[in-house]
Amino acid sequence: MSTTELHQQVRERFGVETIDDRVVALGAAGALCLLVSAITFLIGSPFTALPFAGFLFTVAYGLYEYQAATAKALSFLATIGTGTILALITFYLLVEALPAIRLMGAEMFTSTSEPMWRTRGEEMYSLVPMMWGTLVTTVLAMLIAGPLGVAGALFISEIAPDAVREVVKPAVETLAGIPSIVYGFIGFTILNDYMMESLELPTSGSLVIVGLVVGLMSLPTVVSVAEDAIASVPESMKSGSLALGTTDWQTIKSITIPASFSGVSAAVLLGVGRAIGETMAATVILGHAQRLPDPLYDVFGNTETLTSLIASQYGVASGTHMSALFAAGVVLFVSVTVLSIGSQYIERRMKHQLQGES
Amino acid sequence: MFDRVALGIVGTAIVTFLLGWTTLFDRTSPDTAVAGLSLFALFGVAFLLAGAGLIAAGIASNVGLFKTTADQYTGLGTGVAFGVVGFATGGLVTTILFGVGATGSALAGLVVALIVTLGIAVLPEDIGTTLPVGLLALVWGVLLAAGFVDVGWVWDPPSLAATFHAPIVVPLVTIALSLLVAWSGAIVAEGFGSQGRQNGAYLMIGLNAFGMIAVLLLLILFVVRKGLPTLLEGAQFGPGLSISVPFLTKGVMLGQQYNGIFPAIVGTVWLVVGAVVLAIPMGIGAAVFLTEYAEQGRFTAVIETATNALWSTPSIVYGLFGYAFLVPRFGNRNSLLAGMMVLGFMLLPLVVITSREAIKSVPDEYRDASAALGVNQWQTIRSVVLPAAMPGVVTGVILGVGRIAGETAPILLVTSGAPFPARAPSILGSFRFTATPPFVQNEALLQASSALPYQLYAVITAGVGQEEAFGWGTALVLLLVVLGFYAIGIASRIYFRRKLHQ
Repeated sequence: MSTTELHQQVRERFGVETIDDRVVALGAAGALCLLVSAITFLIGSPFTALPFAGFLFTVAYGLYEYQAATAKALSFLATIGTGTILALITFYLLVEALPAIRLMGAEMFTSTSEPMWRTRGEEMYSLVPMMWGTLVTTVLAMLIAGPLGVAGALFISEIAPDAVREVVKPAVETLAGIPSIVYGFIGFTILNDYMMESLELPTSGSLVIVGLVVGLMSLPTVVSVAEDAIASVPESMKSGSLALGTTDWQTIKSITIPASFSGVSAAVLLGVGRAIGETMAATVILGHAQRLPDPLYDVFGNTETLTSLIASQYGVASGTHMSALFAAGVVLFVSVTVLSIGSQYIERRMKHQLQGES
Repeated sequence: MFDRVALGIVGTAIVTFLLGWTTLFDRTSPDTAVAGLSLFALFGVAFLLAGAGLIAAGIASNVGLFKTTADQYTGLGTGVAFGVVGFATGGLVTTILFGVGATGSALAGLVVALIVTLGIAVLPEDIGTTLPVGLLALVWGVLLAAGFVDVGWVWDPPSLAATFHAPIVVPLVTIALSLLVAWSGAIVAEGFGSQGRQNGAYLMIGLNAFGMIAVLLLLILFVVRKGLPTLLEGAQFGPGLSISVPFLTKGVMLGQQYNGIFPAIVGTVWLVVGAVVLAIPMGIGAAVFLTEYAEQGRFTAVIETATNALWSTPSIVYGLFGYAFLVPRFGNRNSLLAGMMVLGFMLLPLVVITSREAIKSVPDEYRDASAALGVNQWQTIRSVVLPAAMPGVVTGVILGVGRIAGETAPILLVTSGAPFPARAPSILGSFRFTATPPFVQNEALLQASSALPYQLYAVITAGVGQEEAFGWGTALVLLLVVLGFYAIGIASRIYFRRKLHQ
């Protein structure tokens, strides 16, 4: 946003409350300092510290002299900052990904002819195997996390006695806290060996283990979000059903689940987002082969996911190769953001509907 | 008599279910023999008994030997559920027996599924919920008990890379069938009808919850068991209060008796501190603005969507962003500062979301009461709203910190340096003020550092060998740190909630 707009914002927001011109001037000075330090930081100038110190000084003076207005301005800045980070992420990912996309064109997302990934000589970057790998692991993960997660949410919200709930709920949350690298380490040292030994797999690592581990990891997300949705079904709807003489389970089946259906699907979508973005478990477990499994549905085969591609190759990549990794990041970012916005839309609709019904 | 049989069936199924898991993980050997029968034959006998019991119970209820509340039809819901089972069974059996390809077996599975679904949906409930399960159990029982499927059985599908041996297949099928049998038995135990169906469903949902707790406990216990010896290697307790645990207080150096992960611990602590310093003021500020100052409209909706999108952005994307945006601006090399900022960006949306929830849940009466005293909005926020919202904010922040403390992917891209450093970064000791730009310098902040999750990753990429024990020790410390944050977060939530309800 330009300085004049910012001035106007400051005037609009603070002029009404305090007609003091000095507040406006101070706000403008602070905003200018921050803007200059943002610009110097963006161009990588070593002088960033100067305007930033000016900003800090303005804030300190403002907090001392006009506390209310300064606090409001700061909170506004924090809000803008949150949005700016998303914008910066989008911008930098796209800019860095452009060279590879320009080189490959649409083939980057469609080409299935061998070789699909060659970083030396005649470069070739097709993301198809990675997208397939991500798709397969995500589907496998959701086959686990979806039904089990919803059942777990039903248990916590509707079925468990209070004492049991007090144990199960924190335990599920804690499960979400186990770092993915720990899962990955267990998968790498224990599961990979187990699968190679018992299933005679030719290579270490397979999509099915990643799917399993990632499913376990996205389970807590599904449980807690679905539980929120199920708990938000108004008590009056359930009591109405119970008063007709139904069993608890009949009420759950015909009232609670249908009423919370959109919220529960939002939970599953969020779980899908988590599964798509899961990096370390896939990186550590998979054998990193950038080709499609043969046949396509061979889940015991080895391929690559978008996330593991980035994590395993960033260290050796440069130039177009690095740019291709950013393109993988763009695919990840776009799909997860679409899922996030979709689940928010569904959630909002559900809230709207429930308010209409209760 | 009737419900005793049913309970017996449920009990048997739960025993075979648990034994299936222990066999799958090599805790019980398939060669275990009880009363001259091998483990698999025992499974077979159990399934024969359970299957026969189920069928007998179903028929007894149907002909009116026992009074039950069975419905006239099984219904489409149960039919579809069995259809799914039929699809799996039909498809697998046709490939294993006749060796048809994927398309053929999928078609066969579909045909079976269709017949099963329609057939079962129109059966009386007491037959429809027992007979199919009973038949499956009988078939599986005969296969195992008569030795058609024994320890040496192998199936090598041509299109998959895997070869399936009996020690894996038998436990898996047994676990799946045990669940079916337990469900059916639970329905019989309550005499079918709506009560029976509730019983069956609750049993399944309860087992699922039990399973999640079991997985959590097993994971933790497993890491503790594997990591504890490394953690305590060379540790000395006493005399008195002197405790020395070299694994936690030493780096990795040549010629040192015990190597440790002290630099990684310090790295993680600094990363977390940096992220918290960045994210908390900003996140709470944004939450205050969005909830207290801003009018609810387009602007707040956009920011809210952006926050949620940030929250679901994968960590590796944050890493890429830091690599493209921050690293070139901090001297083109990996640095602790870049890691702090990236983790701060990751923590930010969580702080905004939880703080908003907490601020929203402060009752409006508080605000009105404060405003009635004639103070302005900021004073109300500062002395009434924020203190009242603090418990929720604190809990959310602690849980968020637990999450970022274990993050690996972004650190990998923007902070990681030598995997096993000898010394910890000394941040406080390296501030320098200079007369030339950038005026403030801190070498340590701009240098690569290790961190607990990165160290674990380094163990894996270095190839497992003698390092594996080191890795388990690191995993245990990391787990303790993260679970410690979670324990504090959850405990503080329970504490504040109790206080609120007093």
